[in-house]
This record gives sequence, C-alpha cells and structure tokens, in this order.
Amino acid sequence: MALTVKEELIKRSPLRLLEKSISGGLGRGNIGVLASRKGVGKTACLVHIAADKLLQGQHVIHVSYASRVDHIISWYEDIFKEIAKRPGMKSAVEVSGELIRNRVIMNFKQEGTRTEQVLRSLEAMIVHGQFGAETIIVDGLDFGQSGPEELAKFKGFAARLGLEVWFSASLRGDEPLFDERGIPFALKNHLGSIDVLISLQHHGDHVHFNLIKDHERLAPKDMRLKLDPKTLLIARDASRPS
Amino acid sequence: MNTEIAKMRNIGISAHIDSGKTTLTERILFYCKKIHKIHEVKGRDGVGATMDSMDLERERGITIASATTNVTWNDHSINIIDTPGHVDFTIEVERSLRVLDSAVLVLCSVGGVQSQTITVDRQLRRYNVPFIAFINKLDRVGANPFKVRDQIVDKLGHNAVLLQIPIGTEDGFKGVVDLISMKALYFDGCDGEIVRAEPVPVELKADALKTREALLDAASMFSDELMEAVLESRASEAMIHAALRKGTIARKLMPVFIGSAYRNKGIQPLLDGVVRYLPNPSEVENRALDLDHEGVERVLAADPSAKTVALAFKVEEGPYGQLTYIRIYQGSLSKGDELVNTRSGQKIKVGRLVRMHADNMADIQGAECGDIVALFGVDCASGDTFSSPGLNLAMTPIYVPDPVISLAIEPVDNAAADRVAKALNRFTKEDPTFRTYTDPESNQTIIQGMGELHLDVYVERMKREYRAEVKTGMPQVAYREAISQRVAFDYTHKKQTGGAGQYARVIGHMEPLPKGAYEFVNEVKGGRIPREFIPSCDKGFKAVLKKGPLIGFPVIGIRIVLNDGQYHPVDSSDIAFQTAAQGAFRQVYMKAKPQILEPIMKVSVEGPSEFAGNVFATISQRRGMIVSSVEDGMLARVDAEVPLSEMFGYSSVLRSLTQGKAEFTMEFLRYGRVPPHVAELLTEQHLEKQRKAAQR
Repeated sequence: MALTVKEELIKRSPLRLLEKSISGGLGRGNIGVLASRKGVGKTACLVHIAADKLLQGQHVIHVSYASRVDHIISWYEDIFKEIAKRPGMKSAVEVSGELIRNRVIMNFKQEGTRTEQVLRSLEAMIVHGQFGAETIIVDGLDFGQSGPEELAKFKGFAARLGLEVWFSASLRGDEPLFDERGIPFALKNHLGSIDVLISLQHHGDHVHFNLIKDHERLAPKDMRLKLDPKTLLIARDASRPS
Repeated sequence: MNTEIAKMRNIGISAHIDSGKTTLTERILFYCKKIHKIHEVKGRDGVGATMDSMDLERERGITIASATTNVTWNDHSINIIDTPGHVDFTIEVERSLRVLDSAVLVLCSVGGVQSQTITVDRQLRRYNVPFIAFINKLDRVGANPFKVRDQIVDKLGHNAVLLQIPIGTEDGFKGVVDLISMKALYFDGCDGEIVRAEPVPVELKADALKTREALLDAASMFSDELMEAVLESRASEAMIHAALRKGTIARKLMPVFIGSAYRNKGIQPLLDGVVRYLPNPSEVENRALDLDHEGVERVLAADPSAKTVALAFKVEEGPYGQLTYIRIYQGSLSKGDELVNTRSGQKIKVGRLVRMHADNMADIQGAECGDIVALFGVDCASGDTFSSPGLNLAMTPIYVPDPVISLAIEPVDNAAADRVAKALNRFTKEDPTFRTYTDPESNQTIIQGMGELHLDVYVERMKREYRAEVKTGMPQVAYREAISQRVAFDYTHKKQTGGAGQYARVIGHMEPLPKGAYEFVNEVKGGRIPREFIPSCDKGFKAVLKKGPLIGFPVIGIRIVLNDGQYHPVDSSDIAFQTAAQGAFRQVYMKAKPQILEPIMKVSVEGPSEFAGNVFATISQRRGMIVSSVEDGMLARVDAEVPLSEMFGYSSVLRSLTQGKAEFTMEFLRYGRVPPHVAELLTEQHLEKQRKAAQR
C-alpha cells in the first residue's frame, strides 16, 4: 500500500538515521543528552526531535528552564512551517493546529526550583491532566549547578513512567571541554544516569553530531548528521564517508 | 474652567483584578482635594470607594462601569477614567482607551505581571497609549518591586526604569527614595497628606546610586544634552525629567513608581509623574475618517478655534435622562452650540454641559479640545461622532467584539415584563457588547454578551435598579457552522402559476474560507446573469447564511463563487435571483460536509503552584488543551484553550478546589470544530426543537 505524505515524511526523516546509530532509538525509561557550547543549536535539535514525535502522533512535554513560552512556541512554528513546505502536506496552520494538541510547554525558573517540584508537576500533568506523554524534552537545565543525584531523580522518574527524556547540556569554560574519549568534563559525574550522549561540535562551517555514549557502549563515532544552518533542522551529512 | 491644553491630561488607570486600582483612584481624589474623606473598597464604613458608583460594584468589591472624574494637581487638570479589570467587561476598557492620551498601569508588588496585565498591555499597545507604571502594595508580605520591574521587562518587553526604591518593605515599608532628587520621601499626617523630604538613609545610599545610574543611562538615550551632562556629572533634575518625558511619550521608556495606596504612601510622587511625563492632548495625534471623501483619514488639529469634532464614548441612562460622555478632539464646545451627529445626520443643540466627578457633577459653560465632559439630554448611541455643521468626520469606530454567549430570560410576571424591556433598552444603549433579541421559534427574550459574569451582572442590575425579576435558562453558546469541502451548485428557480412568473438559474461553487466570514465572488461573463441581478444573488446567499441548515446558527468561513446562470427577459427579477441563491445553497450545503464550530476561549489560571495538578485536571475534564504552565517559585500560571460551553460555573469549581487562592480570566480566542459526539447531540437538539415548533 502506498504511504501517505506524512508516513513518507516520517520514514525519510534524518532522525531515523539518528535512531539507527543509537541502537534503534533512545528507548523508554532512558535519558539522552545533547551537549555543546551555548549557541550551537541544541534547542533547535530538541525541538526537531519533539516535532518528529508529534508527527508520529506521540505526546510531548517540553520543559524549559530558560526561554519564554512564546519563544518556544515560535521554535515549533518554524519547524511546522518547514514541514508544511513539503509537497502534499496541508497548510502550516493545519499542521500546527493538529500537532500542538499533543504538546504542552512547562516553564520553570532555574533558581529555587527543586527537581522534586518539577517532577511533581510533570506527574500532575500526565496523571491529573490526563496528558499521556511519551517523550519529555528538558531544555536549559544547568548541569553545573545540579549534582548527579538530580539527573538520577529524572532517570528514576523516566523509568517509573516509561518515558524517553531528552536533555540539553550547555558546556562552559576553557578548552578542552572534552576528554580523550569525547566525554565532556562537565558531565563525567552524570554519566551513570545518561543512556545516550551526543555532542554537537563546529567543524568548519557546519555543526556535526558525535555519538559519545550509546547505551552500554562508550565509543566516539561520527553520526554523519549535521545541523542545516538555514532551516536549523537536523540533516544528513552527505559530505562525510559512510 | 477652561484650561490651556498643555496643562491637561487624560489618563486611564488599568490593572489586573485586585491590584488596588480603585483604592489608588480613591487616594488620588483625596490628595487632589476632590473628596474629604477616604473610603475603602468593601469598606467597613459601609460607604465604599467613591468611584464605584453602582451598588452592585460596592457589594462585589469590583469596578464595572468606567466612571470619569476630573481633578487638579499642581495647576494641571487631569481627567481620570476608572476602567474595569475583568475581561468580561473589556469593551469598557477598550472604549476608555480610545479616548485616553495615556495611562497608569497598576501592578501588585507580589503578583507582578498577571494575565490581565498582559491583556491590558496589549490593548494599550493597540491604541499606542504611552503609560507609566505604579507598583502597588509594597506593604504586603513578599513584596518585591525589583522582581516586578524585571517581569515588566521580560514578560511585556518594556524598557521599564525604576524612578524610586523602597525604604523598607512589607511591614517595615516607610517611604521611597526619589532617585532623581536623591531625597528620601516620607508620608506624614493621618492620611499621608504631608510629604516630608529627608536625606537618603545611609544604608540605602549604595543601592540608590546604583539604581539611579541605570535610570540615567536609560534616560540619556533620549537626550544628547543629558548624556553629556551625565558624563560631566552635572545632570540637572529638569534635564532628567525632560529626557524621561520624551522616552515615555515615544513609548520607548516606562517610568516605574512604587508605593502602597492602602497605606497612603507614594501617591503624590506618582501624580507628579503623571504631570511630568505623560503627554497633553496636543502631543497625541488623533485621526478621523472624512465621510465626504470616501473615508480618507484626516489628522485632527488640537486647536480650540478650529471646527468642533467630538466622540461620544459612553452613554448612561440616569434619573434625569441620558448622560453622554464625550471627548473633544478638535475645536471647542459651549452651551447653545449646534452640532451634527455624523452617523444619523441629526442636529443637536448643546444644552447642559457638565464635568463629572464619579456620581456628582458640576455645570460648566464650555470646554476646549482635549477635554472630557458630559452632555445632558442628547439622544445618541455610544460611538457616535459629533461635529460642527459642514464637517462630515467620523472618529474611527471603536472595535466591538461579537458576543459569545446567550441566555434566555423570562420575566416572573407581567409587571416585571415592562420593566425588563425598559432595562434592556438602556443596557444595550450603554454597552454595545450586550445585545438582546426575541427568538422567533421559542418566543423567548435572549440576552447576549461576552461571558457568564457579564450576563450575571445585567440580570442582577435588572433586579436591583428596575425591580425586574427574571428567570434565566441555561447559558447558550454562540455556535457557528462552516463547510469543509468545495462543492458545485447549479440551481434553477422556476415558478409559473398564473400572473407574473419567476425564473432564475445560478451556477457556481462554494468553498471553505479559512480566514474570514463570507466572501462573494462574481465571475459571471457575457451577461449570462444581468448585472443588476448580481447583488440579488449576494443578498440571497447572505440571508440564508444567517441560519445554517445544520443547527440553525450562522454559517461562517465560506466563499461563494458565481460563474454562470440564466435569466428570462420577463420572469427574472431581484426576488427570483435571491430565491435561486438560497435554493442553491440549501441544495448542496450538506454535500459540503458542514461542521459545527464552537467558541474556544483562551483561559489563564493563576494561583499557588501546589494547586497546579488540580488545575490541570479541571482543564482536561473540560475538553481543554493545556498550552503551557509556568512555575515561578510559589506561583504557577496555566494557559489553556477551552471550549466556552465547558466553562460554565468554572469560577466556583476553581474556588472550592483551591480554597479561593487561584483565579482565572478568559477571553474569546477563535472558533474551533466540536467533537463528533457533541455535534451529534447538538444536531439532535436542533431537530427536537424544530419538531416542537412544527407541532405548535
């Protein structure tokens, strides 16, 4: 049977390539982290991951510690516009109208907000709000300020409710940021709770994806993905050998 | 009293519910010596604040109708419009904004920027109204003016600049440090009427200097003179005031004052700020539409000797006949002048002219442009423009939203029926968002408005002011119908039974129009339908769209394209083509897969974060969609989109769930498709109603 435009779009998404290189996907109960310096494009990647899940009919909660709600909304609007550009897709208004029903944005203030409170609100949204989230995006958590036990709490939460949780981690300070195995020094203590760790790095004029940790395996690998500087979407990097 | 225009201010006071707006207005009246005693909102003395003139407002502790009042401060004449805070009464706010030149935005120093603050800010932006902010309630536990200033910057995107810092907060709030004069101000006397200036307390000096520096940086952006003077450390107070004024009027800088109206602190400096930084009427450009020249916009001249243009922005039915509030935009007005109502063409003669102070009024002989006064005994509707004979100008119409909710009312007895009619006649004249009609099918009187509370208040007012008791039905949502598919039509209307016949044929298609209500496109070529009958087709479609075949509500979002047809030289007529259009629509409507749409409201709930879970639950039970939740320490705010039909009684549900600690606001957002099970129910109800009507 012929695929619908949407199914085709999902099938051809570069995110399938991302999933393939991390043993078929992050998996429920697991924590994934995208790490880079500030301004490299972590939020864009997280929103792309979320939009891909939404397109597949999943429910996503977008947790943000930094951005204003209207800024986050416009990140999504931009991606929906890109999706609507594909031939055969409905108008951007209709695309976003369908997809945002399954998205909730939760904003927390970094200072003085405890992880327990965040998790309590997330659980309230899923249970009382009857919002059947499968994926949670956490953008802007300060890994420098929160100890490894905070991420462990998220990990426990993800396992208990069967969620995939994707984080962004901002790396700061002087070079080198990474050790010889590609692990960011700032995340070494957190590694026990991280199932998938990907770093984003500038190579010339492109941003490339390096797989640092893939579930049980610790072996740096080029993922042959890049961030398209125009659309800010994750894209295949054809220039690199397979 | 005639005041020269430079010494005139027209200000509004806008705020979120319970930010202390009415209390602030009360204090302003007191310090300007308009009243001799301070009454509190919900006062123990049983009198209530002066600006809330209606009993109902006094009882509920809210302000509904905007009363205008005039005060004098430092030789300046200030007209104050007290605006209501609840979204259900937004038309009042919008109307006031139209005639104001500037505003004071009141914020609570604990609550900060709240949902209604955002709504009000959006309205101020729409009318390009410059404003200053007053952070109130500094005596309350948790007060933090710096945090509120940051919120104004972050959430509203304004260049907010503190002109003062507090001396002590919460219980220990004593006064303010004025960062321009670098003096500590205390408010003595039993009602804070004596302002005492002292040197800045030593422990606040460093903070004051730091905040002053930010103030000077911001102000310097608007004056090269000040920038140089700051660098050479010789900035004078006058220079700073002038720069701040320039930035404020351009809406590029927002001076922020602080205080506690309830504790009588910080009001006089705020009044100084109104005079110093807010524009006089001649500094604001106003435009009118020239009806003699196809509605071209004309800039009005703030010149008392020019021909007169004035806008009636509010009418009230009082014990002595109609009272019409007007703003004079151009020219002047004196007793005995003749004016023309540009809407009706009716001539009026200016009889009694008064200046308003809440409930009391003072007779005046005349007034000049920029001023806000009231006329007696003139018959007009709110929104009408008056101008000197010979001018045909209309002020831009004030934006009036369509009602989203209706309620059937039934007088309890015959005596009440007369009084209900009288009350409705008055209310509809005063408030364009409140409408009424008789349902031809059920013969019931229906009232329509912007929300449950809006209608509640009018039902209550009927009872109190007119002794007209009514029984009310269930609130009814204003549904709409819309087609979802393009469909072609080809319909012939033919009637030949004695006498003159009727003949008309229309061919074309109709299709969904995602944005907009109705569009009629004529693509008929070669005179297949004579030109004079094209408007007849348009008229026919318009008429049939008023009552959709599905559930009897108006059809919106439709484009009808007419591209062919036929006529008969004798039997075709205006009415034949109208009938053909209606027939064509009815014939194919169901094929276009019509859907029922319902009003979706933008709902915003605010309260302590511990109740977030409860709020999530109430939204999801109401077919709502949570857009976002923002937690900021102890406070949480949930924004959601919820069908209006599910929101009835929500305020009491929320109150009992959160022990009254959470509040919500809502406003109309858009029309959205109803889910199939609801659509089925509505269709059934409609059929049932039709069956009953047929049996009668």
